[in-house]
Amino acid sequence: MLRVEAAEKSFDGFKAVNRANLVVEEGAIVAVIGPNGAGKTTLFNLIAGIHKPDTGKILFQGENICGLAPYDICRRGIARAFQIANIFHRLTVFENVQVSVLSQQRKSGVLFRPAQNLAVEETNSILASTGLLNKARRVAGTLSHGDQRILEMAIALGSQPRLLILDEPTAGMSPEETTVTMELVKHLSQARGLTILFCEHDMDIVFSVAQSIMVMQHGQTIIQGEPEEVRQNEQVQEAYLGGALSLSKETSDA
Amino acid sequence: MFKGIVGSRWRLPIAAVSAALIFAPLIIPVFWIYILTLIFVTALLAISLNLVLGYGGIYQFHHAVFYGIGAYTTALILTKTSLPMWVGFGAGPLVAAASGLIIGWFCVRLTKLYFGMLQISLGSLVWIIVSRAYSITGGDNGIHDIPVPTLLGSSNGVYYFTLIIFMVSLVVMYLIVKSPFGCTLQATRDNPQRCEAVGINVRRHQLAAIGIAAFFAGVAGVLFVGLERSVFPGLLFWVFSLEVFVMCLLGGWFTFAGPIVGAAVVVALRTSVSIYTDYWTLVLGVILILLIFFLPEGVMGFLLKRLEPRPIEEGRPLADVAG
Amino acid sequence: MGRNGECGVFLAFSAHPSLLIRESQRMELTLNLDALSSQLVIGLSRTMILFIVSAGLSFVLGVLRVPNVAHGSLYMIGAFTAYTIMAALGNNLAGFWLALLLAPLVVALVGLIVERGLLSHLYQREHLMLILFTFAIGLILNDLVKFAWGAEYRSVMPPEILEGSLTLFGLAIPRYNLFLLVSGPIVAVGLWLFATKTKIGKISRAAAVDRDMVGVLGINVSWVFAASFVIGCYLAGLGGALVAPTLSITLGMDHTVIIETFLIVTIGGLGNIWGAMIGSLIFGVGQSMGLLILPQYAVVFPYAAVVIVLLLRPTGLLKSVW
Repeated sequence: MLRVEAAEKSFDGFKAVNRANLVVEEGAIVAVIGPNGAGKTTLFNLIAGIHKPDTGKILFQGENICGLAPYDICRRGIARAFQIANIFHRLTVFENVQVSVLSQQRKSGVLFRPAQNLAVEETNSILASTGLLNKARRVAGTLSHGDQRILEMAIALGSQPRLLILDEPTAGMSPEETTVTMELVKHLSQARGLTILFCEHDMDIVFSVAQSIMVMQHGQTIIQGEPEEVRQNEQVQEAYLGGALSLSKETSDA
Repeated sequence: MFKGIVGSRWRLPIAAVSAALIFAPLIIPVFWIYILTLIFVTALLAISLNLVLGYGGIYQFHHAVFYGIGAYTTALILTKTSLPMWVGFGAGPLVAAASGLIIGWFCVRLTKLYFGMLQISLGSLVWIIVSRAYSITGGDNGIHDIPVPTLLGSSNGVYYFTLIIFMVSLVVMYLIVKSPFGCTLQATRDNPQRCEAVGINVRRHQLAAIGIAAFFAGVAGVLFVGLERSVFPGLLFWVFSLEVFVMCLLGGWFTFAGPIVGAAVVVALRTSVSIYTDYWTLVLGVILILLIFFLPEGVMGFLLKRLEPRPIEEGRPLADVAG
Repeated sequence: MGRNGECGVFLAFSAHPSLLIRESQRMELTLNLDALSSQLVIGLSRTMILFIVSAGLSFVLGVLRVPNVAHGSLYMIGAFTAYTIMAALGNNLAGFWLALLLAPLVVALVGLIVERGLLSHLYQREHLMLILFTFAIGLILNDLVKFAWGAEYRSVMPPEILEGSLTLFGLAIPRYNLFLLVSGPIVAVGLWLFATKTKIGKISRAAAVDRDMVGVLGINVSWVFAASFVIGCYLAGLGGALVAPTLSITLGMDHTVIIETFLIVTIGGLGNIWGAMIGSLIFGVGQSMGLLILPQYAVVFPYAAVVIVLLLRPTGLLKSVW
């Protein structure tokens, strides 16, 4: 469904993404992991069109989407939830999702029909499936952090994507919120048949949810494979756990 | 189709105010009828600015330029051509909207402060051209004694004409604000980047909003011609734009009706202050400072906060939201 | 013979008018060269004034991130104060220097009062509120000027030593313009020395880039802001004092200057002092050259230049400090 081939992107000479490869099959849950600064967020920005890759290809359903504007990429079926709660603070929760649904239905430009009667069913169904329905009338800026992150995801769902990209969906959440969120992700994948691409720091989550894992370091893809395969890979152990291992060795030496 | 779009507790006050306005000429002296008419014109201009400022979060620093373009277009057609009068009255808003789209097309490529700066410079360019093209626009002197339809001959005629156009424009603008377009516009104000990510072409949306706002500013300009029967470069001077800005702030720029209140207060104050003193701008400046310190959400914003049962979120800096 | 005569007539006809044309062209050319260079001098002196004023605006913009709409009014106060001092002391050198020294200080004092009294309480507020606040201050100051000096036109002469003109390279250059041409670079260098060599200058540059960091370092950011604002006001006052002998001082002189300096700062790159220099050049020279081409619409030229610059480089010519 999505295929990134040898994508590269540098900022002021620093190669944030350097020959990254990624394959996402239809219906799968794919995780990207890697230490801080490995280029995960930049890679997502490349896919979502916020940055244009210097070289390489990004194919979505066989079509090269490199260099398209973010709104154009969204219309092709890729939606993205951000690492920070990137919502519309002054609008209500309902309106937050509705804006996204209206955009998907190409009704954003409709001038003379009251918005409150449009796309209500679709919006409510998304709010219901994300558990925000009882907060629909609240102004989004007043929600708790966890709820804002879920709203963030709900906005992404509003564009009825085929591929949903989540950038650290549980960052900054309490353990309870984390569990709820990951259950939601699994549910979305099963119930809606969504393809999901996410990155995450919490390895327990990654290995329990993802069907395929891609490991990045210094902007480069080390490996992509099934969780077990990745776990066994020596290079990954060295790269990802290497720091920790050597550190523990040093302390034991001392 | 439009059911439920105006909250039920607002219907009675709106009906009462409308009725009062309709019967006003029977009771109020002619001078105050003139002031009321001027308030309608100015309020229309202020609301049209608020469409892009309050709802779109766009720093349209020089909005009056579209007001001036609308007024001048009508004035020129009425004085220099033999076209029927309705053409002149119709052309004003259309030319204003077109110039809004042209100036906006350049400006939407920039963000925030840079947008405002380019908008001021392009607007000032129009002002300079208008105030120097003596052979066409009369330069600094402007154009006076513009012939208007006999309907607008009496002060009551002008009053009702302006009131009707004003009301119709208000309804249309209210519908736009409550439409998917308006909802999306507010979303682009809160978070343009997120809008792009859900498939909204933010620049095109903003440009459309600027075009609509310029159209209604043009309508206000045409109404001004009907009322004053003259035009002058001061209409599109940037200081006047800032005055309109103040009206939005004073009334409350996150509310629909706020700018009306703001315009009414500013026009009424200017009229009454001018009787006693020449130092009107001093008064305006002091009011503005008091507002900034004590009533940043404006009169309407303050009242709504008191009236609303549900919590309105804390006054969050707009700059933070837009990043 | 007839043939010859015809020929002669023909020759005479062909030679004469073209000669005339060439003669007139040459005259026009020398006239143009003269006009060109004198316009250039006028444009450059205007550039210096604009630079001094917009450097102040840019300085405040860089550190406080507030486009100070009242900057034009402060410039006007500078001009009026300089007028009063010069008029009181008569047309002599002492009066001129004293005006040049005191007028900017008066303006700086006004700035200090405004900043400490009001603006400093608003730094946590929305950006738009700060812009509107400076607008309000501008309105108030304008009316105070009207109150203090009235609405009449005022004018002062430069001191005798700076009156008249000097012949340089066969060009008659008004001495006062020459004085301006010298003072602009002096201010530029002074400002550069201040920003790079003094402690407060370094701190304010740091605050422009990252104000949180400066706060962490234990420096009182509030006073850095105050100092920057006052310096900005001082420069506005200095510009006003310098411009006083060159034009009629009147209410409304703030409007043109504030728009012009806003745009200069924008095309230069917000907060970039050298950008302000380039922007001032575009404005000053652009307008005086425009006078040669299309006198009535000369003012249009710099504005058109701004539009072109902003379309090609939407964030200004040089790097903005933000």
